[in-house]
Amino acid sequence: MTIRLLLLALLIALSATAPAADAADPVTIEYWHINSPTFGGPAVKELVQVFEAKHRGIKIAEKFQPGVYTGLMQQLQVSLAAKRPPAVAQIGYNLTAYAAGQFPHVLLDKYRQSDPAFFKGIPDNIMALGNLSGGLHGIPFGVSTPVMYYNPDLFQAAGLNPDQPPQTWADLLKVGQTIKDKTGKFAVYLQQPNDEWIDQTLIWGNGGRPLSEDGKRVGWDSPQAIEAMQMWQDMAVKTKIAANLTWEEGLQAFLSGHIAMCLTTIGRQDHMRKNAAGFQVRAVPVPRFGGKPLATATGGNVLMIFATDAAQEKAAWEWIKFLLSPEGATIWTKGTGYLPPRAELATDPKYLKPFFDEAPMMKAALQTFPYAKPWVSFPGARGLEITKILIKAREEVLEGKRPSEPILREASQQANALLPR
Amino acid sequence: MTQRRREQLTAYLYLAPGFALAAVFVYWPLVASTTLSFYDWNLVSPIWSAVGWQNYRELVSNRVFWLALVNTGKAALAFTALNVIAPLLLAVAVMRVSSRWRDVYRVLLFSPTVISMAIACAVWLWMFHPLYGVINSSLRLLGIQGPAWLSSGDSAIWAIIIVTVWKTFGFNFVLYVAGLLAIPAEMYEAARVDGASERQLFRYVTIPLLAPTTLFVLLTTFILSPQNLFVPTQILTQGGPNEASNNLGYLVYQLGFEYFRIGYASAAATLVFLLFLGLTALQFYLAESRIHYGR
Repeated sequence: MTIRLLLLALLIALSATAPAADAADPVTIEYWHINSPTFGGPAVKELVQVFEAKHRGIKIAEKFQPGVYTGLMQQLQVSLAAKRPPAVAQIGYNLTAYAAGQFPHVLLDKYRQSDPAFFKGIPDNIMALGNLSGGLHGIPFGVSTPVMYYNPDLFQAAGLNPDQPPQTWADLLKVGQTIKDKTGKFAVYLQQPNDEWIDQTLIWGNGGRPLSEDGKRVGWDSPQAIEAMQMWQDMAVKTKIAANLTWEEGLQAFLSGHIAMCLTTIGRQDHMRKNAAGFQVRAVPVPRFGGKPLATATGGNVLMIFATDAAQEKAAWEWIKFLLSPEGATIWTKGTGYLPPRAELATDPKYLKPFFDEAPMMKAALQTFPYAKPWVSFPGARGLEITKILIKAREEVLEGKRPSEPILREASQQANALLPR
Repeated sequence: MTQRRREQLTAYLYLAPGFALAAVFVYWPLVASTTLSFYDWNLVSPIWSAVGWQNYRELVSNRVFWLALVNTGKAALAFTALNVIAPLLLAVAVMRVSSRWRDVYRVLLFSPTVISMAIACAVWLWMFHPLYGVINSSLRLLGIQGPAWLSSGDSAIWAIIIVTVWKTFGFNFVLYVAGLLAIPAEMYEAARVDGASERQLFRYVTIPLLAPTTLFVLLTTFILSPQNLFVPTQILTQGGPNEASNNLGYLVYQLGFEYFRIGYASAAATLVFLLFLGLTALQFYLAESRIHYGR
């Protein structure tokens, strides 16, 4: 009797795990993203709804992954090890080299022949973000630039003209001191999540390079990088006009009126606009270094396909095509502030022109866009550690126990040893 | 089959399910992880390269490993001290409250133990906010400038210790309440007849008679403390700033799932396992020989 019961239980268990064979069933694909409820999450849900209404045969199981792009990569690696990867995932530009080099995925060059219409209208320099070592590994989806949000009320309270926010770091240091003296509040917060996007932006901005052109050395010990990071340290430690806070703390402190300026992604403009407590948030391009041209690291992600069977891959490609279609890109840009890879949508009255006309903060991103530099993804199997070394160096710089030069020199030595020879 | 053999067989049959579970979820991973510690593998690649003792050599020459070890020791000591003193004092205090209110206090003091650690951390994240969190705001009222709890290397590990103690002290508190209830009232009466003051009662009756409870609490708390550090580390600081709040449990995770060096992480895990195996053996020995509940 017991054996019979056991056999029955086994049969039930087996039938529950067997794949559904009915061809009429829709294909369900998993889509992994980093869009939390405060960072484009609602836009993802809307995209899924619109897509599923048009493609009856495909269901999208969208899954938010915490911990931004690094967190998503961790989950992805685990899912690949378990041989159950999502069909499509967002890979941050800073991690594309690692993902393309280490993860089994679908190369997308074949779609250039089968779907030439899709590729029309995406500029080459944008497409290049997914093109690594000779193959198309991902389709650029989110394109973002850092901007400087600011609280005009705090400018006014400090007796400053809110229509003239600082344009260079030298301006910012002066304005910042005034804000601190007059209001007692912090002047600025540069985002400090578990990535080094703003750090790379500072290095690019001061005329340095996060990684040498041949990819053999990091450029963090260059005079430009050392000077830029020293400036950040001085603001945090010497003049105390910059707040040294964790990412959640800093963002909340800005939104609740405790900090006058905040450098972070244009991808947050919707969240900023809706959550600024009692003030009308504005945005301008990040400050320049003296007479040097503006240069910022490009944020955002490519969509890579990890599907392992043909039906899943086909559905994944349909989903990607929709996400980048004028309709999909419009929902995406409105809900996040990411710039559309198809630049012409921004001026198309049928799609994004009304939005850009009504969202003045987006102008800051559009002005920055021509100066966008890559968010360097450190190559090789140890690329993720190299990223972390830069994050740790920044944390030490901001603690202010040593000047930035020895910190960055040591960090560069460590990183150079991990780069592929 | 003799009666004796049959009994033995039955005993093994009863043990089998438990052993099977332990084998699958404890012993096999232990063996697998130790094996992995001699390889270089990123969890995805089909290639496992054997590297001998290289992972161990790299680990002992890694500054972060030693920092994590020191932090874990520091946290374990502070955590144990706080998690013995606070519950003891609270239990003694609660026993003095009128019995009507005693249960209310017990529930209130035990409640942090039952909420999820992740939720507790999210709440503490805002309490630690240096600009307007409740902790620094209160300190400011006293004229003290509180630290930037989570972004200063000097305070980050303490923030984690505070959250962990707050989250777990309820369990020891209950043990102490039980220990106090077990002390016979005649002991106090006899001491009072002899003219002992309240302080003397606490010093010469309560403390000695709670000794078995205290030893038990000390040993279990010390061994469990490093395991309790992981979630608050992950949510509050990610081991930062600049590794200042890293600890052994988090380091293993970082090496394995942030850098995807599974072999290297396994080497760290194996060393941590051996360290705690030793500590647990010591705990067993002490518990066997020192904790007696007989009167």
